[in-house]
Amino acid sequence: MQSQTRIRRWPWIAIGLSLAVAFTLSMVSPADSVQGDLVRIMYVHVPSAWLAYLAFFVTFIGSVAYLITRSLRWDRIAAASAEIGVYFTGLAIALGMTWAKPTWGVWWTWDARLTLTAIMFFVYLGYLALRRTTDDQVLRAGRASVLGVLGAIQIPLVHFSVIWWRTLHQPPSLVRPDGPAIQDPMMLAALIGGVVAFTIVYVSLMVKRIELIHLEDRKVDMESAVERPVAGEAVTAPELGASS
Amino acid sequence: MTTGFWHQVAAVIERDLLRERRRGDVLWITIPFGAIALLLIPLAVGTDAALLRQIGPGMYWVIVMLFGVLVAVGKASSETLPQQDASSLAGLDPAAGFVGRSVSSGVLLLIFELVVGLVAVGLYNISVIGIPWLVLTLVLAAAGLALLGTLTGAIVNSTSAGTTLVPLLVAPLSVPLLLGATQAYDGLRFGHSILSWVLVMATVVLIVAMIGVLTARPLQET
Amino acid sequence: MSQWAWVAFAYTIAYGSLVVFAVSIAVRIRTTRRSIGDTE
Repeated sequence: MQSQTRIRRWPWIAIGLSLAVAFTLSMVSPADSVQGDLVRIMYVHVPSAWLAYLAFFVTFIGSVAYLITRSLRWDRIAAASAEIGVYFTGLAIALGMTWAKPTWGVWWTWDARLTLTAIMFFVYLGYLALRRTTDDQVLRAGRASVLGVLGAIQIPLVHFSVIWWRTLHQPPSLVRPDGPAIQDPMMLAALIGGVVAFTIVYVSLMVKRIELIHLEDRKVDMESAVERPVAGEAVTAPELGASS
Repeated sequence: MTTGFWHQVAAVIERDLLRERRRGDVLWITIPFGAIALLLIPLAVGTDAALLRQIGPGMYWVIVMLFGVLVAVGKASSETLPQQDASSLAGLDPAAGFVGRSVSSGVLLLIFELVVGLVAVGLYNISVIGIPWLVLTLVLAAAGLALLGTLTGAIVNSTSAGTTLVPLLVAPLSVPLLLGATQAYDGLRFGHSILSWVLVMATVVLIVAMIGVLTARPLQET
Repeated sequence: MSQWAWVAFAYTIAYGSLVVFAVSIAVRIRTTRRSIGDTE
């Protein structure tokens, strides 16, 4: 029992430790010559964006694997990853806007990558909304996995069309959201440290989120087992000689 | 793909179009809804003729994408679960059902596009140019939207949120169609090549059609 | 706002929401576990 509790707690410890390291690295790294201290926002923004893409890729893999194997284990992976992905996409957008306002003076630009991220956010929000409409695990897994595949395959098309739209429609904007060219080793360490730390956070959250889906499914199973009528329940034994 | 398959497709198309003729959902609900939306926009943004002429084509395509999907939604929700069970028991290939429903939705969407398009041309004084290419983009947009609507309609089929969920799922996925259609019109106006945009739209149509056919049976089984 | 204020704002969003997200998962695991009678 003691060892089991330890196994269940390691994700929380991993999240705490990796975030502490990432935070320290991003605070001790030097300010950028052009952007000043604002460059520190990059150390949380870029890892969030990276995780957004990774999470949705995992959802795609989980959906395909479910359609092939029909194992609910894959569906749980896809679902957990989509939820964490939506969170990190929202975080990446919020942090990007927080970075854009002091740097460019606007909260939002119609840059291709920004537009694509916002569209992805809504694709997977729809995926989560779809999952909420169905209680039956197998039915839900089947529907969600088809949408997971459709969404992921459409993303590259959205990507190309948005890039063409920006390049053909208007001249490239003066301010591009590319990060500054990184030469300082401490800045590079802060960025890579952030990416590694956030990836550990993602894996840890996945472990706990899958555990939660598992528990919730068991709860639904138990509740439906209680509610389900028993065969022959409505039949009452005939009473003989009741009339007097 | 046997002849039986295409016979089934034809039967589904005939059934859907007959139902539309009887009930007139697209003619009496979706088309007037799209037309009144075009009427509302100038009330909100102002009636400056030059401005309306400039934003007209874009507004038209946004309305086609947002409201056009309702054509496919209506079809998905009009089929009850017992009806679906009956068709599958009668041996209807789920893939044939998907193709048939997509084609009938596509035809109705094309009618929707044409009527609402005439309203847009009239209200916003849009110039109609490059007709063969324009028709091609209208057909591709109708096909892509019909396929997306039919596929997501099958995914959310008979869930509690069915009809409200489909537009949310389709809207972000229809971005390549929206960009393709609007950029193609701009290309025609300024004399650029629009081949790449036509190819983007055609790719969407092909990919969604392929996913729909491949997943029709798994979706039916669940 | 000064640059550091923007940085502080961004880090509050990032780390604050991460903590909220993680805690919400932990709380839901605990309550679900209790409701199905599974004790740690």
